[in-house]
Amino acid sequence: MNRYQTKSFLTSREIAKTRTELTICADRLDCNPDLLAQMRRDVEEVLSKYINTEEENLEIRMSFLCRWKRGISDVKTIQIK
Amino acid sequence: MSEVIVVTSGKGGVGKTTSTANIGAGLARLNKKVVLVDTDIGLRNLDVVMGLENRIIYNLVDVIEGNCRVKQALIRDRHYSGLYLLPSAQTRDKSAVTPEQMVKLADTLRQTFDYIIMDCPAGIEQGFRNAVAPADRAIVVTTPEVSAIRDADRIIGLLESSGLRKIDLVINRIRMDMVRRGEMMSVEDVLDILSVNLIGAVPDEESVVIAANHGEPVLGNDSQAGEAYLNIARRIMGETVPLLHLQEHTSLFHRIADLLVRK
Repeated sequence: MNRYQTKSFLTSREIAKTRTELTICADRLDCNPDLLAQMRRDVEEVLSKYINTEEENLEIRMSFLCRWKRGISDVKTIQIK
Repeated sequence: MSEVIVVTSGKGGVGKTTSTANIGAGLARLNKKVVLVDTDIGLRNLDVVMGLENRIIYNLVDVIEGNCRVKQALIRDRHYSGLYLLPSAQTRDKSAVTPEQMVKLADTLRQTFDYIIMDCPAGIEQGFRNAVAPADRAIVVTTPEVSAIRDADRIIGLLESSGLRKIDLVINRIRMDMVRRGEMMSVEDVLDILSVNLIGAVPDEESVVIAANHGEPVLGNDSQAGEAYLNIARRIMGETVPLLHLQEHTSLFHRIADLLVRK
Protein backbone atom coordinates (compact mmCIF):
# COMPACT_ATOMS: atom_id res chain seq x y z
CA MET A 1 0.00 0.00 0.00
CA ASN A 2 1.60 3.22 -0.98
CA ARG A 3 1.43 6.25 1.22
CA TYR A 4 -0.81 8.20 -1.12
CA GLN A 5 -3.63 5.76 -0.59
CA THR A 6 -4.13 6.65 3.04
CA LYS A 7 -7.78 7.68 2.69
CA SER A 8 -8.71 4.04 2.72
CA PHE A 9 -11.55 3.72 0.23
CA LEU A 10 -10.77 6.60 -2.04
CA THR A 11 -8.76 6.07 -5.19
CA SER A 12 -6.23 8.73 -6.15
CA ARG A 13 -8.59 9.62 -9.01
CA GLU A 14 -11.36 10.47 -6.53
CA ILE A 15 -8.97 12.38 -4.31
CA ALA A 16 -7.71 14.35 -7.31
CA LYS A 17 -11.24 15.15 -8.40
CA THR A 18 -12.29 16.36 -4.95
CA ARG A 19 -9.15 18.43 -4.59
CA THR A 20 -9.63 20.00 -8.02
CA GLU A 21 -13.26 20.84 -7.29
CA LEU A 22 -12.40 22.36 -3.92
CA THR A 23 -9.51 24.41 -5.31
CA ILE A 24 -11.50 25.71 -8.27
CA CYS A 25 -14.45 26.48 -6.03
CA ALA A 26 -12.16 28.38 -3.70
CA ASP A 27 -10.63 30.24 -6.68
CA ARG A 28 -14.01 31.19 -8.10
CA LEU A 29 -15.43 32.33 -4.79
CA ASP A 30 -12.15 33.97 -3.90
CA CYS A 31 -12.26 32.09 -0.64
CA ASN A 32 -9.56 30.17 1.20
CA PRO A 33 -9.70 26.34 0.73
CA ASP A 34 -9.36 26.02 4.51
CA LEU A 35 -12.52 28.02 4.98
CA LEU A 36 -14.32 25.75 2.51
CA ALA A 37 -13.13 22.74 4.46
CA GLN A 38 -14.38 24.40 7.65
CA MET A 39 -17.74 25.01 5.97
CA ARG A 40 -17.83 21.38 5.03
CA ARG A 41 -17.18 20.30 8.63
CA ASP A 42 -19.91 22.65 9.85
CA VAL A 43 -22.42 21.24 7.38
CA GLU A 44 -21.51 17.73 8.47
CA GLU A 45 -22.00 18.74 12.07
CA VAL A 46 -25.45 20.14 11.33
CA LEU A 47 -26.42 16.98 9.48
CA SER A 48 -25.26 14.79 12.33
CA LYS A 49 -27.54 16.75 14.66
CA TYR A 50 -30.54 15.32 12.88
CA ILE A 51 -29.28 12.03 11.57
CA ASN A 52 -27.54 9.52 13.75
CA THR A 53 -24.61 8.90 11.49
CA GLU A 54 -23.05 6.29 13.79
CA GLU A 55 -26.14 4.17 14.15
CA GLU A 56 -27.26 4.27 10.57
CA ASN A 57 -23.72 3.63 9.45
CA LEU A 58 -24.14 6.61 7.21
CA GLU A 59 -21.23 8.05 5.39
CA ILE A 60 -21.44 11.69 4.48
CA ARG A 61 -19.52 12.54 1.38
CA MET A 62 -19.63 16.04 0.16
CA SER A 63 -18.33 17.80 -2.86
CA PHE A 64 -18.71 21.42 -3.73
CA LEU A 65 -19.78 22.44 -7.14
CA CYS A 66 -19.90 26.07 -8.03
CA ARG A 67 -21.34 27.28 -11.24
CA TRP A 68 -20.48 30.72 -12.29
CA LYS A 69 -22.90 32.26 -14.69
CA ARG A 70 -21.74 35.37 -16.40
CA GLY A 71 -24.39 37.89 -17.23
CA ILE A 72 -25.10 41.50 -16.46
CA SER A 73 -24.00 40.70 -12.95
CA ASP A 74 -22.16 37.58 -11.91
CA VAL A 75 -24.32 34.96 -10.33
CA LYS A 76 -22.58 32.53 -8.05
CA THR A 77 -24.27 29.29 -7.17
CA ILE A 78 -22.81 26.93 -4.64
CA GLN A 79 -24.23 23.50 -4.88
CA ILE A 80 -23.44 21.01 -2.17
CA LYS A 81 -23.84 17.45 -3.30
CA MET B 1 -14.24 32.85 -44.34
CA SER B 2 -11.16 32.54 -42.23
CA GLU B 3 -10.95 31.92 -38.52
CA VAL B 4 -8.36 32.93 -35.92
CA ILE B 5 -7.91 30.29 -33.20
CA VAL B 6 -5.84 30.73 -30.06
CA VAL B 7 -4.42 27.60 -28.43
CA THR B 8 -3.86 28.28 -24.75
CA SER B 9 -3.69 26.57 -21.36
CA GLY B 10 -2.40 28.77 -18.56
CA LYS B 11 -0.11 26.10 -17.22
CA GLY B 12 3.04 25.30 -19.17
CA GLY B 13 4.02 21.88 -20.40
CA VAL B 14 0.56 20.48 -21.05
CA GLY B 15 1.09 20.22 -24.81
CA LYS B 16 0.01 23.55 -26.30
CA THR B 17 2.75 23.66 -28.91
CA THR B 18 2.41 19.98 -29.83
CA SER B 19 -1.34 20.43 -30.12
CA THR B 20 -0.94 23.56 -32.26
CA ALA B 21 1.44 21.77 -34.64
CA ASN B 22 -0.76 18.71 -34.98
CA ILE B 23 -4.09 20.50 -35.26
CA GLY B 24 -2.48 22.68 -37.93
CA ALA B 25 -1.19 19.61 -39.75
CA GLY B 26 -4.67 18.07 -39.49
CA LEU B 27 -6.38 21.09 -41.03
CA ALA B 28 -3.73 21.24 -43.80
CA ARG B 29 -4.29 17.58 -44.51
CA LEU B 30 -7.99 18.36 -44.93
CA ASN B 31 -6.91 20.78 -47.68
CA LYS B 32 -7.14 24.00 -45.73
CA LYS B 33 -4.61 26.82 -45.91
CA VAL B 34 -3.24 27.18 -42.41
CA VAL B 35 -0.68 29.42 -40.73
CA LEU B 36 0.66 28.72 -37.25
CA VAL B 37 1.88 31.78 -35.38
CA ASP B 38 4.30 31.25 -32.52
CA THR B 39 3.47 34.12 -30.16
CA ASP B 40 5.87 33.09 -27.41
CA ILE B 41 8.42 35.85 -27.96
CA GLY B 42 11.80 35.07 -26.42
CA LEU B 43 11.07 31.37 -26.01
CA ARG B 44 10.28 30.06 -29.45
CA ASN B 45 9.72 26.35 -29.86
CA LEU B 46 6.98 25.71 -32.41
CA ASP B 47 9.70 25.80 -35.11
CA VAL B 48 11.55 22.91 -33.44
CA VAL B 49 8.41 20.84 -32.97
CA MET B 50 7.70 21.26 -36.69
CA GLY B 51 11.32 20.62 -37.68
CA LEU B 52 11.71 24.02 -39.34
CA GLU B 53 14.31 25.54 -37.01
CA ASN B 54 16.96 25.77 -39.73
CA ARG B 55 14.82 27.74 -42.16
CA ILE B 56 14.07 30.82 -40.12
CA ILE B 57 15.18 34.11 -41.65
CA TYR B 58 12.62 36.64 -40.43
CA ASN B 59 10.28 36.42 -37.47
CA LEU B 60 7.07 37.79 -35.95
CA VAL B 61 8.76 40.89 -34.52
CA ASP B 62 10.42 41.65 -37.89
CA VAL B 63 7.01 41.55 -39.54
CA ILE B 64 5.40 43.76 -36.92
CA GLU B 65 8.23 46.28 -36.96
CA GLY B 66 8.10 46.37 -40.75
CA ASN B 67 11.60 44.97 -41.34
CA CYS B 68 10.15 42.53 -43.88
CA ARG B 69 6.89 41.64 -45.61
CA VAL B 70 4.67 38.95 -44.07
CA LYS B 71 5.35 36.60 -46.98
CA GLN B 72 9.10 36.74 -46.40
CA ALA B 73 8.76 35.53 -42.83
CA LEU B 74 6.42 32.61 -43.57
CA ILE B 75 8.01 29.17 -43.72
CA ARG B 76 6.33 26.39 -45.63
CA ASP B 77 5.97 23.06 -43.81
CA ARG B 78 7.98 20.07 -45.06
CA HIS B 79 4.99 17.73 -45.16
CA TYR B 80 1.91 19.75 -46.01
CA SER B 81 1.97 22.33 -48.77
CA GLY B 82 -0.91 24.29 -47.25
CA LEU B 83 0.75 24.67 -43.86
CA TYR B 84 2.95 27.64 -42.91
CA LEU B 85 4.77 28.82 -39.81
CA LEU B 86 5.33 32.37 -38.66
CA PRO B 87 8.14 31.89 -36.13
CA SER B 88 8.65 33.91 -33.00
CA ALA B 89 11.69 36.02 -32.18
CA GLN B 90 14.24 34.47 -29.88
CA THR B 91 16.20 37.56 -28.87
CA ARG B 92 13.34 39.86 -27.94
CA ASP B 93 10.72 39.84 -25.19
CA LYS B 94 6.94 40.02 -25.12
CA SER B 95 6.85 43.80 -24.73
CA ALA B 96 8.02 44.05 -28.37
CA VAL B 97 4.45 43.45 -29.54
CA THR B 98 1.08 44.92 -28.56
CA PRO B 99 -2.40 43.34 -28.81
CA GLU B 100 -3.39 45.95 -31.43
CA GLN B 101 -0.44 44.97 -33.63
CA MET B 102 -1.45 41.31 -33.35
CA VAL B 103 -4.99 42.14 -34.47
CA LYS B 104 -3.57 43.99 -37.49
CA LEU B 105 -1.25 41.10 -38.33
CA ALA B 106 -4.10 38.58 -38.07
CA ASP B 107 -6.21 40.70 -40.40
CA THR B 108 -3.42 40.61 -42.99
CA LEU B 109 -3.12 36.82 -42.62
CA ARG B 110 -6.90 36.39 -42.98
CA GLN B 111 -6.60 37.43 -46.64
CA THR B 112 -4.47 34.39 -47.47
CA PHE B 113 -5.36 31.67 -44.97
CA ASP B 114 -8.44 29.71 -43.91
CA TYR B 115 -7.15 29.17 -40.39
CA ILE B 116 -4.72 31.28 -38.37
CA ILE B 117 -3.67 29.43 -35.22
CA MET B 118 -1.96 31.34 -32.41
CA ASP B 119 0.28 29.27 -30.17
CA CYS B 120 -0.05 31.10 -26.86
CA PRO B 121 2.72 31.29 -24.23
CA ALA B 122 2.07 29.93 -20.74
CA GLY B 123 0.83 32.39 -18.14
CA ILE B 124 -1.76 35.14 -18.19
CA GLU B 125 0.42 38.16 -18.85
CA GLN B 126 1.06 40.25 -21.93
CA GLY B 127 2.03 37.29 -24.12
CA PHE B 128 -1.37 35.76 -23.38
CA ARG B 129 -3.17 39.03 -24.10
CA ASN B 130 -1.28 39.40 -27.39
CA ALA B 131 -2.26 35.93 -28.55
CA VAL B 132 -5.90 36.23 -27.49
CA ALA B 133 -6.56 39.73 -28.89
CA PRO B 134 -7.19 38.68 -32.52
CA ALA B 135 -8.90 35.36 -31.75
CA ASP B 136 -12.39 34.37 -32.91
CA ARG B 137 -12.31 31.19 -30.89
CA ALA B 138 -10.11 29.45 -28.34
CA ILE B 139 -8.90 25.94 -27.75
CA VAL B 140 -7.91 25.36 -24.14
CA VAL B 141 -5.49 22.47 -23.61
CA THR B 142 -5.37 20.69 -20.28
CA THR B 143 -4.24 17.37 -18.80
CA PRO B 144 -6.05 15.27 -16.18
CA GLU B 145 -4.09 16.84 -13.31
CA VAL B 146 -5.23 19.10 -10.48
CA SER B 147 -2.84 21.94 -11.38
CA ALA B 148 -3.58 21.92 -15.12
CA ILE B 149 -7.36 21.82 -14.63
CA ARG B 150 -7.21 24.62 -12.11
CA ASP B 151 -5.27 26.81 -14.56
CA ALA B 152 -7.61 25.85 -17.40
CA ASP B 153 -10.55 27.02 -15.30
CA ARG B 154 -8.86 30.35 -14.69
CA ILE B 155 -8.04 30.74 -18.38
CA ILE B 156 -11.63 29.93 -19.40
CA GLY B 157 -12.81 32.64 -16.99
CA LEU B 158 -10.38 35.16 -18.50
CA LEU B 159 -11.35 34.23 -22.07
CA GLU B 160 -15.04 34.58 -21.26
CA SER B 161 -14.57 37.95 -19.63
CA SER B 162 -12.60 39.14 -22.67
CA GLY B 163 -15.73 38.44 -24.70
CA LEU B 164 -14.69 35.23 -26.44
CA ARG B 165 -17.71 33.00 -26.75
CA LYS B 166 -16.41 29.97 -28.64
CA ILE B 167 -14.24 28.04 -26.20
CA ASP B 168 -13.42 24.36 -26.64
CA LEU B 169 -11.38 21.99 -24.53
CA VAL B 170 -8.69 19.48 -25.48
CA ILE B 171 -7.79 16.98 -22.78
CA ASN B 172 -4.26 15.80 -23.45
CA ARG B 173 -2.13 12.94 -22.09
CA ILE B 174 -4.87 10.60 -20.99
CA ARG B 175 -3.71 7.19 -19.83
CA MET B 176 -6.61 4.81 -20.06
CA ASP B 177 -4.85 2.11 -18.04
CA MET B 178 -4.48 4.54 -15.13
CA VAL B 179 -8.07 5.78 -15.47
CA ARG B 180 -9.28 2.20 -15.31
CA ARG B 181 -7.22 1.53 -12.19
CA GLY B 182 -8.71 4.64 -10.57
CA GLU B 183 -5.39 6.48 -10.57
CA MET B 184 -6.22 9.24 -13.03
CA MET B 185 -9.19 11.51 -13.64
CA SER B 186 -11.21 10.52 -16.69
CA VAL B 187 -12.48 12.71 -19.53
CA GLU B 188 -15.88 12.77 -17.80
CA ASP B 189 -14.34 13.86 -14.49
CA VAL B 190 -12.60 16.79 -16.15
CA LEU B 191 -15.75 17.81 -18.02
CA ASP B 192 -17.76 17.60 -14.77
CA ILE B 193 -15.43 20.13 -13.23
CA LEU B 194 -14.88 22.50 -16.14
CA SER B 195 -18.27 22.29 -17.90
CA VAL B 196 -17.00 23.46 -21.27
CA ASN B 197 -17.39 21.91 -24.72
CA LEU B 198 -14.95 19.06 -25.38
CA ILE B 199 -13.37 19.12 -28.83
CA GLY B 200 -10.96 16.21 -28.37
CA ALA B 201 -9.20 13.82 -26.03
CA VAL B 202 -5.62 12.82 -26.84
CA PRO B 203 -4.02 9.72 -25.30
CA ASP B 204 -0.56 9.84 -23.76
CA GLU B 205 1.52 7.96 -26.29
CA GLU B 206 5.16 7.39 -27.06
CA SER B 207 4.44 8.25 -30.69
CA VAL B 208 3.91 11.91 -29.71
CA VAL B 209 7.39 12.15 -28.16
CA ILE B 210 9.00 10.27 -31.03
CA ALA B 211 7.33 12.48 -33.65
CA ALA B 212 8.46 15.61 -31.79
CA ASN B 213 12.01 14.18 -31.62
CA HIS B 214 11.99 14.00 -35.41
CA GLY B 215 10.29 17.37 -35.78
CA GLU B 216 7.34 15.80 -37.50
CA PRO B 217 3.60 15.77 -36.89
CA VAL B 218 2.22 12.70 -35.12
CA LEU B 219 -0.50 12.71 -37.77
CA GLY B 220 -0.35 9.88 -40.25
CA ASN B 221 1.74 7.73 -37.92
CA ASP B 222 -1.10 5.29 -37.52
CA SER B 223 -1.27 6.21 -33.85
CA GLN B 224 -4.30 6.98 -31.72
CA ALA B 225 -2.90 10.38 -30.83
CA GLY B 226 -2.56 11.22 -34.54
CA GLU B 227 -6.11 10.11 -35.17
CA ALA B 228 -7.33 12.16 -32.20
CA TYR B 229 -5.67 15.30 -33.59
CA LEU B 230 -7.12 14.72 -37.05
CA ASN B 231 -10.56 14.37 -35.46
CA ILE B 232 -10.05 17.66 -33.62
CA ALA B 233 -9.25 19.31 -36.97
CA ARG B 234 -12.46 17.87 -38.42
CA ARG B 235 -14.50 19.17 -35.49
CA ILE B 236 -12.95 22.62 -35.89
CA MET B 237 -14.23 22.56 -39.48
CA GLY B 238 -17.71 21.82 -38.14
CA GLU B 239 -17.93 18.09 -38.80
CA THR B 240 -19.52 15.87 -36.18
CA VAL B 241 -17.00 13.17 -35.34
CA PRO B 242 -17.67 10.73 -32.49
CA LEU B 243 -15.08 10.64 -29.72
CA LEU B 244 -12.34 8.05 -30.17
CA HIS B 245 -12.72 5.05 -27.98
CA LEU B 246 -9.27 5.14 -26.40
CA GLN B 247 -7.66 1.77 -26.10
CA GLU B 248 -4.92 0.60 -23.87
CA HIS B 249 -1.73 -0.75 -25.28
CA THR B 250 -0.97 -3.24 -22.57
CA SER B 251 0.35 -6.72 -22.93
CA LEU B 252 -1.51 -9.81 -21.82
CA PHE B 253 0.96 -10.16 -18.97
CA HIS B 254 0.15 -6.66 -17.68
CA ARG B 255 -3.55 -7.30 -17.87
CA ILE B 256 -3.26 -10.50 -15.85
CA ALA B 257 -0.94 -8.86 -13.33
CA ASP B 258 -3.39 -5.99 -13.05
CA LEU B 259 -6.28 -8.36 -12.38
CA LEU B 260 -4.33 -10.10 -9.63
CA VAL B 261 -3.34 -6.84 -7.97
CA ARG B 262 -6.89 -5.57 -8.01
CA LYS B 263 -8.26 -8.68 -6.31
